[in-house]
Amino acid sequence: MDAGTVAIVLAGLVLAATLLGVLHRATQGRARTGDSRIVSIEGVALGGRATLLQFSTEVCAPCKSTARVLDDLAARTADVAHVDLDVTHRPDLASRYRVLQTPTTLILDRDGAVRARIGGAVRRDVVVAELDKVLAA
Amino acid sequence: MTAPAPIAPTRARGIDPRGPRVVAGIVAITFLAVIAFALLGLETPAWGIAALVLAIYSAAIFLFAAIAGVPRHPYGILFRTLIRPRLKPPVELEDPTPPTFAQGVGFVVTIAGILLFIPFGPIALVIAGAAAFVAAFLNSVFAYCLGCQIYLLLARLGILGKRGAATA
Repeated sequence: MDAGTVAIVLAGLVLAATLLGVLHRATQGRARTGDSRIVSIEGVALGGRATLLQFSTEVCAPCKSTARVLDDLAARTADVAHVDLDVTHRPDLASRYRVLQTPTTLILDRDGAVRARIGGAVRRDVVVAELDKVLAA
Repeated sequence: MTAPAPIAPTRARGIDPRGPRVVAGIVAITFLAVIAFALLGLETPAWGIAALVLAIYSAAIFLFAAIAGVPRHPYGILFRTLIRPRLKPPVELEDPTPPTFAQGVGFVVTIAGILLFIPFGPIALVIAGAAAFVAAFLNSVFAYCLGCQIYLLLARLGILGKRGAATA
């Protein structure tokens, strides 16, 4: 393989990695709806009107920023709880709720039904919009 | 979002989150060189040896950082002495555990390429190098968090965190 071909291969690799990064970033922090299963985990008390249920691991930098945002929102909103579960030692929960990345946040209504799912670091405005929908219902 | 006050970068528990991203940038460039040498090595064995040497060097750096922790990463020291004095203090500090885990993943991928070089030759380093490059590049440019998916996957497969204690 000559040097010119090598340069083309490397450029292609950088381009492919960039596309992958752009695609991945586009999926992060977006709210998805459509899964309305009821969440029930022993030892976890739900909020009176809504619950921000976060799945984390200890090896996860964006989990910490997400926890700060959700903690703050829960503190400002009456009857809304923030629950942060470390699934490192509870892989059964990760499987049961199909958690493929951390953080994953489920927004639950008063009955514990999933109203939205957010993969990756949350954006405050996205959580507020989804939470408002749940609280208005 | 309320902006937290800047934290003085002094011996706090966390590290400057920009450090690991600079480290990942240097690693990504190193692996572009590994891939280039390995591709040239498909025809010219001397280049293949050069790729192997650079891969062994990278594996050694990964292993050191995975054991000693990212705060003692040699490239991180480069960042702290040369780059950070010219930047504003970080808005927030980060736990060094996630980037340290990523160094371990980097080591596993690189050592796999090195071992597979023995039966398969330079193509092993092209493939392992491409995997390591993509991870390091995404981490550096897009702040992609390798641990957020791989660590969880290992936990789900039962390789990590078998203690089974609820930590609610």
